[in-house]
Amino acid sequence: MATGTERQGTDGTAAFGGVSRLRGVVFQYVTFAASLFGILSLAVLLGYVFWDAFGLETAESAWYATMVVTVVLPVAGFLLYARRNPLAGRTALELAATATGGVLSGFALVVVLEVIAGSGLWFAYFLAVGVPLGALYLYGRRVEASWTGLAVLGVLVAGPVAGTVLLGPLSRIGGVLGGPGVYYLSVIAPTALVARHVVDGYLDGPNGNYVALATLVVPILAVPAVDTVAVLSRSVWLLFFPTLVVPFSIVAGRNLAAPGRRVGVVGPLAFALGVGLLAVVPDLLGITGPSPWFDWQYVTSAPSQTAEQAGLYPAIIGSIFMIVLVALLTLVLGVGAALYLEEYAPSSGPAGAVTQLIRINISNLAGVPSVVYGILGLAVFANTLQFGFGTVITAAFTLSLLILPIVIISAREAIRSVPDSLREASYGMGATRWQTIKNVIMPRAIPGILTGTILALGRAIGETAPLIMIGVATTKFSPPSGLFGKMTAMPMQVFTWSSYPSEAFQHGVVAAGVVTLLIVLLTMNSVAILLRNEFERGDY
Amino acid sequence: MARNEDTMADGESNPGTDERLITTDVTAGLDEGSAAATDSSRTMIEARNVDFYYDDVQALNDVSLSIPEGKVTAMIGPSGCGKSTFLRCINRMNDLIDIARFEGELRLRGKDVYDDDVDPVALRRRVGMVFQEPNPFPKSIYDNVAYGRRIQGMDENMDEAVEQALRRAALWDEVSDQLDKSGLDLSGGQQQRLCIARAIAVDPEVILMDEPASALDPIATSKIEDLIDELATEYTVVIVTHNMQQAARISDKTAVFLTGGELVEFGDTDRVFQDPDSDRVEDYITGKFG
Ligand SMILES: Nc1ncnc2c1ncn2[C@@H]1O[C@H](COP(=O)(O)OP(=O)(O)O)[C@@H](O)[C@H]1O
Ligand SMILES: [Mg+2]
Repeated sequence: MATGTERQGTDGTAAFGGVSRLRGVVFQYVTFAASLFGILSLAVLLGYVFWDAFGLETAESAWYATMVVTVVLPVAGFLLYARRNPLAGRTALELAATATGGVLSGFALVVVLEVIAGSGLWFAYFLAVGVPLGALYLYGRRVEASWTGLAVLGVLVAGPVAGTVLLGPLSRIGGVLGGPGVYYLSVIAPTALVARHVVDGYLDGPNGNYVALATLVVPILAVPAVDTVAVLSRSVWLLFFPTLVVPFSIVAGRNLAAPGRRVGVVGPLAFALGVGLLAVVPDLLGITGPSPWFDWQYVTSAPSQTAEQAGLYPAIIGSIFMIVLVALLTLVLGVGAALYLEEYAPSSGPAGAVTQLIRINISNLAGVPSVVYGILGLAVFANTLQFGFGTVITAAFTLSLLILPIVIISAREAIRSVPDSLREASYGMGATRWQTIKNVIMPRAIPGILTGTILALGRAIGETAPLIMIGVATTKFSPPSGLFGKMTAMPMQVFTWSSYPSEAFQHGVVAAGVVTLLIVLLTMNSVAILLRNEFERGDY
Repeated sequence: MARNEDTMADGESNPGTDERLITTDVTAGLDEGSAAATDSSRTMIEARNVDFYYDDVQALNDVSLSIPEGKVTAMIGPSGCGKSTFLRCINRMNDLIDIARFEGELRLRGKDVYDDDVDPVALRRRVGMVFQEPNPFPKSIYDNVAYGRRIQGMDENMDEAVEQALRRAALWDEVSDQLDKSGLDLSGGQQQRLCIARAIAVDPEVILMDEPASALDPIATSKIEDLIDELATEYTVVIVTHNMQQAARISDKTAVFLTGGELVEFGDTDRVFQDPDSDRVEDYITGKFG
């Protein structure tokens, strides 16, 4: 309070105003310094990790000079230009984002479908769940029948069951088709439909049918070229096609067609060219470049006693496998629980007291240390339910329990933030509870739910304590064989390496592991953010 | 509301009775309804000895009145006297409030809407509602108007139905070329007319309006008033307002509630305003209190 100052000053009001302004300014700078401190320390840490992971130490200064000339100067020049021509900047940003997102989600798709599930298993569930859902969706768009919502729910419940029961015969169909055949039918064909819909619905320009046709034909025509590239199998090509090639072509085509935006292509092009030159020119001139620990070999090979041959592959696959299951489990259980607590559970009377008790307890559970969840997982999933020690499914259930309270709390917040006036509008129109949830509450709540889930999944993928409790291996030389296969996770492996005596492990290999973990985390978050933005537009 | 909890939970119909309210198939009774609309002397809604409590606070005290079909009935009174509560009893919106308790009889075309076999979802499909604050869904204008028809499975001729509802709500000329725009991008008055269009798109028999113009400027208000006049040719309109001039302008019948949830006067609007039975009402109308 400024009463003291007021009493002192001869001109009370002026002194009062001066003092509070000073305090405001001080407060503003304190908060600014605090944020700066946080950001700087994080930046130093990340810089340190990247320095090690990419082995930048060994690079000669001539290499840096080359980098400045080939990459930094062109990009900086373009950025300067983009300041004066924002349209070009936006084009460059769109292209870069599509390319990065395409590569990352292509990798994710390859890992999930090809490595973890395998084409046979994927195709079985695609036939049992994906095809009926797609058919219902298309049918529903055409005739607006009211029963399709219920049918979708039925398929979501019965589909996985049918898929599991008929797993043998269904995956044999997949076996006959082979990996590329399966992906052509289950990924490329739906992509063609989506591309047609997107092009016709949102873009003016090319006819959607041509785009769809190109989507179907180009992957096949490109096969001879693909076969000449050793690291690119046909399956991998077919999975990268819809995530990278199609969106990038559409975005690039759109930007090239718009006169004002065309210049924007120069930026990403210069960057790609610069990186290519940087890979070739120093070698020709005999300049030593960096010797990165984080490279293709690192993400595709198994751990090893020699630092140069060590890789994170089994742990990457293990972590992604686990986190996909955790995401599915927590979304279904968390959103379900939150919906019940907010929309159905009684809030008054004795039953209301029980509801209140449950709500408070869920909040408390969010603060329980993760080791405790490890013990719970050990007792319940590993021992009692016989899911096995250190298996993917035990780990997924345990980590789901760990983050479920966070997901429920954030989902409840999101659901509660939907204004009551919208609920009343819907009920007042004679909507049932389910119709109100589906049409009014969920569309508004999903962005908030996804935000909470992103944070929670980020926590789950970095956990080690509960994994140690349930007997997850610290090092494994092959990826998990399936749901009940033994696994290891990235943080576990990285932590193990950090206790190796050799300098190369402690600095290089560990840093590369941290970078990998960050990249997986960022990919996961960007997928969730994309989904969230999609829902926030809310045009459905 | 304990006794209605089970019927509230879903929209499924209860087999075994023949009343229209019990089924969500609202189209069942509409022909009879519109035929009867010409007979203006018929009673649409009849309340008998209605008491209403929020937990232990009494919000309505022994209210009895009958609302005629095809007319505009206004409810006036100082704020907190239970006007909204009574309105929300008619379409059982109060069922959504856990602590609410209803006693008495409230009949819609003779059928007590609080009978155990009445499905509130079916009831609300026949009794539309417009709220005090415009509350369009964060969807396109088209989807807002189509909402009620979609959830009721009335999917045929959607485009014509949407156009007709917007025309009847006097909004068509302003939005016909921007049906894809979000309903939230409209002005307050337009939003309220959109909400009215949304309510009439499903062809209800009764439209309840809770101070529909109180959040609007005078021009938007007068548009809404004209619209209510128009609507009364086809629907039974029950409107809550705290604006007495408005009640006098637009209504055929007026009910005056005073503090404590009591209905102190009910009758033809002209008579209520010129020659009220109760002194308290006279004081209220002439502005001595409230
Ligand atoms: N949801 C509710 N919970 C508890 N009390 C309520 C609720 N809604 C209204 N009330 C109380 O009921 C009385 C009547 O309110 P209301 O019907 O909204 O009055 P009006 O619309 O005439 O201003 C008021 O005393 C109010 O405080
Ligand atoms: Mg009110």
